[in-house]
Amino acid sequence: MNGPFIIFALLNVGFVLLISPLFMSLIKKVKARAQGRCGPGLFQTYYTIAKLLRKETVYSSASSWVMRVTPYVCLSMAVVAALFVPLLYVPEPVAGIGNVILFLYLLGIARFFMALSGLDAGSAFGGIGSSREMSLAAVIEPTSIVVLAALAVVARSLNFLEIARDSAGMLFPVSATMILIGVSLFIILIVETGRIPVDNPETHLELTMVHEAMVLEQSGRNLAMIEYAGAIKQTLLIAILVLVLMPFGLVTELSVAGVLFAMALFVVKGSVISVIIGLFESSMAKMRLFSLPNLFIIAFFFSVLTIFIEVFA
Amino acid sequence: MIGVILYLLFAGLFALLLGTVLPLLIRREDKPVRTVSLIATALGSAFLAVAALPVLFSATTVSATLWHLLPGIDFTVVLDRLSSLFLLILGVVGLADAIYSFGYVEHGGHPMRRNLLVSLMNLFLLSMGMVVLAGNMVQFLVFWEMMAVSSLFLVLYDFESEGIGRAGLFYAVMTQLSTVFLFIGFILLYGETGTFALVPASPLASPGALAAFLCLFLGFSVKAGVIPFHKWLPYAHPASPSNISALMSGVMLKVAVYGLVRAVLDIFALDFTSGAVILLFGITSAILGIIYAYKETDIKGLLAYSSIENIGIIFSGIGLAVIFSDLGMPELSTLSLLAALFHSFNHALFKSLLFMTAGSVVAATHTRNMEEMGGLVHRMPFTAGLFCTGAIAIAAFPPLNGFVGELMLFESLFFGLQVVDPLTKVLLIFALSLFALTGALAAACFVKAFGITFLAHPRSDRAVHAEEACRSMLIGPAILAFLCIATGIGSFQIFSALGYDLPLPDMLVVGMLIVVTLGAVVLVVRATASRETRVTETWGCGLLSQNGRMEYTGTGYSEPVVTIFSSIYRTEKKIDRTWLDPDRAIVAGTRAGISLIKFFEEYLYLPVARGTLAVSSLVQIFHAGTLDTYILYIFVSIVILVLGVGWFI
Repeated sequence: MNGPFIIFALLNVGFVLLISPLFMSLIKKVKARAQGRCGPGLFQTYYTIAKLLRKETVYSSASSWVMRVTPYVCLSMAVVAALFVPLLYVPEPVAGIGNVILFLYLLGIARFFMALSGLDAGSAFGGIGSSREMSLAAVIEPTSIVVLAALAVVARSLNFLEIARDSAGMLFPVSATMILIGVSLFIILIVETGRIPVDNPETHLELTMVHEAMVLEQSGRNLAMIEYAGAIKQTLLIAILVLVLMPFGLVTELSVAGVLFAMALFVVKGSVISVIIGLFESSMAKMRLFSLPNLFIIAFFFSVLTIFIEVFA
Repeated sequence: MIGVILYLLFAGLFALLLGTVLPLLIRREDKPVRTVSLIATALGSAFLAVAALPVLFSATTVSATLWHLLPGIDFTVVLDRLSSLFLLILGVVGLADAIYSFGYVEHGGHPMRRNLLVSLMNLFLLSMGMVVLAGNMVQFLVFWEMMAVSSLFLVLYDFESEGIGRAGLFYAVMTQLSTVFLFIGFILLYGETGTFALVPASPLASPGALAAFLCLFLGFSVKAGVIPFHKWLPYAHPASPSNISALMSGVMLKVAVYGLVRAVLDIFALDFTSGAVILLFGITSAILGIIYAYKETDIKGLLAYSSIENIGIIFSGIGLAVIFSDLGMPELSTLSLLAALFHSFNHALFKSLLFMTAGSVVAATHTRNMEEMGGLVHRMPFTAGLFCTGAIAIAAFPPLNGFVGELMLFESLFFGLQVVDPLTKVLLIFALSLFALTGALAAACFVKAFGITFLAHPRSDRAVHAEEACRSMLIGPAILAFLCIATGIGSFQIFSALGYDLPLPDMLVVGMLIVVTLGAVVLVVRATASRETRVTETWGCGLLSQNGRMEYTGTGYSEPVVTIFSSIYRTEKKIDRTWLDPDRAIVAGTRAGISLIKFFEEYLYLPVARGTLAVSSLVQIFHAGTLDTYILYIFVSIVILVLGVGWFI
């Protein structure tokens, strides 16, 4: 652990923690506007998390340590994962931090514990959500890995930090195939954050009983942690998309002005993607659970195509 | 140094021999006999593990010739780097299993039969150790057969129970099939080299050698449980006592892997096609293994199918190593071979851990059906914690060891994609996507295994009355759980010490980051959030009380995946309705059912079995049952043999 890396760690994690709830509310706002409503304020998610932290936590009498540990694991894994995707400043990678597969599996631990906590309270809702979440995660996984493989093939690196170092300072994506990867990454972003047409983050009705049903038994500070972890995960996935499609603005040399500029730029870039997500959600209907694999196949196809284009180019 | 290693090696083997003989000689029913024998098992295994470690890390070769059996056949013990890894696996799992068995063996069965169990367990370990240490083909085959027979008796331990006889029969046939293939393979190999030594002077690549390799590959595949030769595994593993399941899955399958790796590395010089064949068998086993495991509700059956998946991953690593070395990429070849070997070690640790803890659960609830468990996390907290550690390791989450093995395989595929030609690229993408699916399904599968077995309300009275396992049944698995964490976190350092510089993330740093972050999150939440906590009943949509009947079941849990992959499961949903009126307006009654076709059993095993039966009924004509006819047969055969041999010579 050298100096610049520690600064990177604090800067990146701090910034992710600060900004994540903003994108959450922004997407809600866009969706509300698209439906002709006014929508919540941009700081609503911050207020919600603060409110939940002050509330009492209710546990089911059937639940065990799994329920109590899960929120801490989820938030910690999200925070550790925040070290893997550079938002502002890119240091030299240390000890393999930034490895794309490790990143994916860190998010996997959080999902694993959340799925267990869904079963822990003994309610059928949690079971349904847990079962569906794990099934969808299983079906999307080949796509995620092949997309990452395509990214690794194009960028000739397995490490987000190295990929970012190569592309930092460029105005456009490193290669045209990155746009194809961008499409696949966008679909993964939609699936991983549980948005329409895969799931609906606003409800936990029967039709959309995936993620929200799984965390139905969580309350108070635990729910706050899980919501926060979800927001961080979304920001990180947005950041990867930004890294691929709009790499300009990342700094490789530390300077106060540069970092501040990168912050402002990331807020703008992240907002653009959030607006696109909001509009995308508003223009789609929820798909049937069992027709979802078709959606994943599209992303899979694009990434396989990317790998082949790279071979013949 | 070499003297000390040999001394330890023979001390270990002798202790296991002692453990085998003792309970048979002292025919007493009380516990001390078994205790002494199990102490011998534990010590023997520990000695073998300690002997293996210096060889593994210094890459020296230790060998000793004990007797000259026949001209050209010596009784030789050889311990090199490859065999030391598998001896280490045997030693570690054997030690943990011996400790576990102190408590487990006393769980039923007549005392004399328990003595036999302990004795056979020692014999099983001893024969597996001797296979790994074998210096020539004859030794290899003899101990291979001893391993097969001792494990067959262990599978039949509880032979009065329903289904055990069938499991034993299935296992007997399959394990003999494996030996037959090995036998033919070794004879062909002898024809090529003219020596019984296991490792020829230089790797062979002739067409004859390819035929020998094919036979050996089939033999090892049957023993390792590679699909489509896997069917004995889900029969034999649940049938045998859990301490034996742990050994079978943890060690015996690895002995088959050892055979294959030895063949691939030292005996044959294989080309791309052979590598692709191994890879395809591996991927098929990996994906189908986990898909079948996910559907299981028998907890030991689930673990057995998951073993097939892991063997598939190991075989794929071996196949990739062959492919990459044929393509002239030695670094990637080493990376995938190390992935396969490290995963063998890891799988031995966490699968034995899971089988032991599952065995404790079965001993406490007297059922293997997960649908009758539930709520055990409150009744068996330590067992639950150990099972959970095993589940996290096998679901390949960082920083535990399972993750590192899979990461190495993923990395070799990722790097491979950047360099190979388009056709190979198709193969690698295919492998990559199926591995990803396998990995994710494994996570889902073990959420189900842990969640349905241990969490929520008890689903039956059996689960209500379950009690925590005794101390030895916790210490044994705890050793393995600790090693799962330690070898995962120290993976980078371990590979450095072994002399490999791999492009792996330093798990020690990652592990520390996770711990520090977890600590920080706990502190911040404690400082800022409300600490008010209330425990109350789960909200059940207005129902008065929540009970086990309302929970999500294991079958329900796997339903989405079963529907998505219905073409693989061959699920058939049948709905029969009868109507009261001719216009079919009023339903009189409905019958619905879901059936899963046992694909391999119906399309591969049964046709072969029927064919064999048809042939044997032809042979039956010659079996009159009178002694003089048989003497005539023998006479005729001898005459034919003499004439035949005379003709050829």
